[in-house]
Amino acid sequence: MKNNKILNISNDLRWQIGDGFHDKLTEGIYSDAAQIAQNSVFKKGQTKRFRFDRSLDKIVTSKIWGFPIMILILSVVLWLTIIGANYPSGLLSELLLDTIQPWLKETSLSIGFPIWLAGFLFDGVYLALAWVIAVMLPPMAIFFPLFTLLEDFGYLPRAAFNLDNLFKKAGAHGKQALTMSMGFGCNAAGVVATRIIDSPRERLIAIITNNFSLCNGRWPTQILIASIFIGALAPQSLSGALSTLSVISIALLGVFFTFVVSYFLSKTVLKGEVSSFTLELPPYRPPIFWKTIYTSLIDRTLIVLWRACVFAAPAGAVIWLISNVTFGDTTIAHWLIENLNGFGFILGLNGVILVAYIVAIPANEIVIPTILMLTVMSVSISGVGEGNGVMFELDSVSATGEILKAGGWTLLTAVNLMVFSLLHNPCSTTIYTIYKETKSIKWTVIASVLPLIMGFVVCFVVAQVWRILL
Amino acid sequence: MESPLTYLLYFLLIITGLIVVFYPNGGIYWRLKNSFKNDSKTLIEDILKKLYHAEDGGNSLSTNDIISSTNIRPKIIIEIIAQMKANELINFNNGNIKLTENGMDYALKIIRVHRLWEKYLSEKTGFDKKDWHDIAEKMEHKLDSQQTKELANDLGNPRFDPHGDPIPTEFGEIESIQGEPLPVFKEGTIGRIVHIEDEPDIIYKQILAEDLHIGSHVHIVENNEKRIVFHSEGEEYILAPIVANNITILQLLKEEISEENTFRLSNLKENEQAKIIGISNECRGEIRRRLLDLGFVLNTKIELDLISPMNNPRSYLVRDTAIAIRNEQAKYILIEKIKNDANSN
Repeated sequence: MKNNKILNISNDLRWQIGDGFHDKLTEGIYSDAAQIAQNSVFKKGQTKRFRFDRSLDKIVTSKIWGFPIMILILSVVLWLTIIGANYPSGLLSELLLDTIQPWLKETSLSIGFPIWLAGFLFDGVYLALAWVIAVMLPPMAIFFPLFTLLEDFGYLPRAAFNLDNLFKKAGAHGKQALTMSMGFGCNAAGVVATRIIDSPRERLIAIITNNFSLCNGRWPTQILIASIFIGALAPQSLSGALSTLSVISIALLGVFFTFVVSYFLSKTVLKGEVSSFTLELPPYRPPIFWKTIYTSLIDRTLIVLWRACVFAAPAGAVIWLISNVTFGDTTIAHWLIENLNGFGFILGLNGVILVAYIVAIPANEIVIPTILMLTVMSVSISGVGEGNGVMFELDSVSATGEILKAGGWTLLTAVNLMVFSLLHNPCSTTIYTIYKETKSIKWTVIASVLPLIMGFVVCFVVAQVWRILL
Repeated sequence: MESPLTYLLYFLLIITGLIVVFYPNGGIYWRLKNSFKNDSKTLIEDILKKLYHAEDGGNSLSTNDIISSTNIRPKIIIEIIAQMKANELINFNNGNIKLTENGMDYALKIIRVHRLWEKYLSEKTGFDKKDWHDIAEKMEHKLDSQQTKELANDLGNPRFDPHGDPIPTEFGEIESIQGEPLPVFKEGTIGRIVHIEDEPDIIYKQILAEDLHIGSHVHIVENNEKRIVFHSEGEEYILAPIVANNITILQLLKEEISEENTFRLSNLKENEQAKIIGISNECRGEIRRRLLDLGFVLNTKIELDLISPMNNPRSYLVRDTAIAIRNEQAKYILIEKIKNDANSN
């Protein structure tokens, strides 16, 4: 056949040309390009790199200032996010949860919806949806634009450049520093951000370990539990500092696990994946402010929020259903809590927490409201809460503490909840995103199950040692 | 409820159990898996390879030689050798075993798969150099001729494996390695490394630790029974003759010799200027293509731009673009320093 003949000739030629063929080709392309450019591009004088770029680079990558500048910038971004999000979050929750939700329920009942349908739709589905939007939208709408501004300005590649040696020791890529920081905002966005890592092995490492960055949905849980239980250990004047310190240590523990797991992965399951490292340091550019804000809102915030909503709605339905559907004389939630209490106890947690983490897989934001609702329901506290299957939160931190203590919580439960909140499976949005990015069920399963097993092991060991020592 | 201490003990027991069973290489699971693999096909193929390498080196092996070179029970080896004789793969000649034409073809097929697979590992995966040989040892028994053909086509029918060994063709033709072992040459010789032997393991690891690259030029400055000293790419190397014996070099003709001014990019200091001579043959696959695409090609001017706080990576200015690469990669890029009279004071 004619085709075969051509293929044979090309194989023969390839054999004769030898190995250096690709090099020669690239050299040829470059020298042609250089010639064309020389003939048609005119430069004014010697424009090497701008002096400004060069001196700025010298500072942000210097031995003395490199790291402090990085830590300062990250702290400012996180601080702006956490503090700045409080106000709009409060407004949104007042609007969506305290105003629209009762109105929806009442109206639906008055036009003749059966009670179960109104409960299912508005106490279940709508409430979860509204909760996720109220808690998630404001911090993301602050964090991502800030991050994108830094990226556009050109600072982020320098941070990767500074940190690469640390990550290299764990078998990872310097740019993982960026995806890790992005994970502090949202793990799903962090996983999408790993696209900037061009080396396949390091990219998988970054995807699988992104969950160890404490995301926005988990910060409030950490802060609340720390101020109820850990802050109370210190005298009034120091309690704020102590609880802040404990939350920061959990975040740092996450960074520690990122390195350990990266190292472990690169030496075992990911050994055979291709690894290559190059990093371009683009010139600094003043960011185009409004365009950046717009694209980061559309590309990052809204996409992630949409995915979260898609998963949160059914979760709300499930939470309402397990608390209201009964078998015999107990609800499904009761039955689950009873059965998981033993296992929960061994882990230093309890059945309520485990059930909450199962139904709240779609969004970490609704873990605390779910825990409160389930606790009130299972120990039958009267006078608080909104009824079975209706998540709620209290304005007062001490009142929340009273409920949890009535549910049998100790300091150990609190510490282990903080640990477990760091080390458990990623939320379903992130799991779905991991699948979209890797197109591999294997890596998706590893990324989902590995942190969960680690969480079980760490909580278990902490609980046993705690009980032996105290 | 049991006491916390009992739980902890159970936990430790489970962890120890898992470690004993799954510890890399030494674990019970891996050993069991290996022991099932020593079937007769694998053994026949391994013995064929041994015979081929012996004959290639001008030696011959007896049954006893083969028994003493493996840790498999002698009885099994004797059975296997009898089976090979029955299949007309080997002949006996004065107690020495010789390959028949069939045996030779078979051996070359196995070697072809082994070397192709090493090439594949070096080009398309991220496995470390020191792991290639062991992985290829396992794969060589698994691929049939159709798969081998596809693999070769996929790799562009390579002629040499990453150690510099020629890969036999589909029809069993094999090129011979040109060049001689390093200790053969006199002081003052300039040559090019064409082959680094990957067996035995201990010596190969020493060579890897020295960080020598196939394709690089060497200049022998001292050669005696105790040690061999040579310069390559701006570094000095001192090797024991037994180690140097596993490195094959080809003496270069006058016109091929590039000047002694070749350095590795990792060697470039601040305020020095250089131009790129090429990328070492040891830099392969994805990362090589990436470097080429970024413009690390012949005659490109290059200088050091920034050094990161922990000294690695460093960024270089190539065609007015700052590109950071790690020192581990920079050492594969060969440069020639440009003498800048204005700066030398």
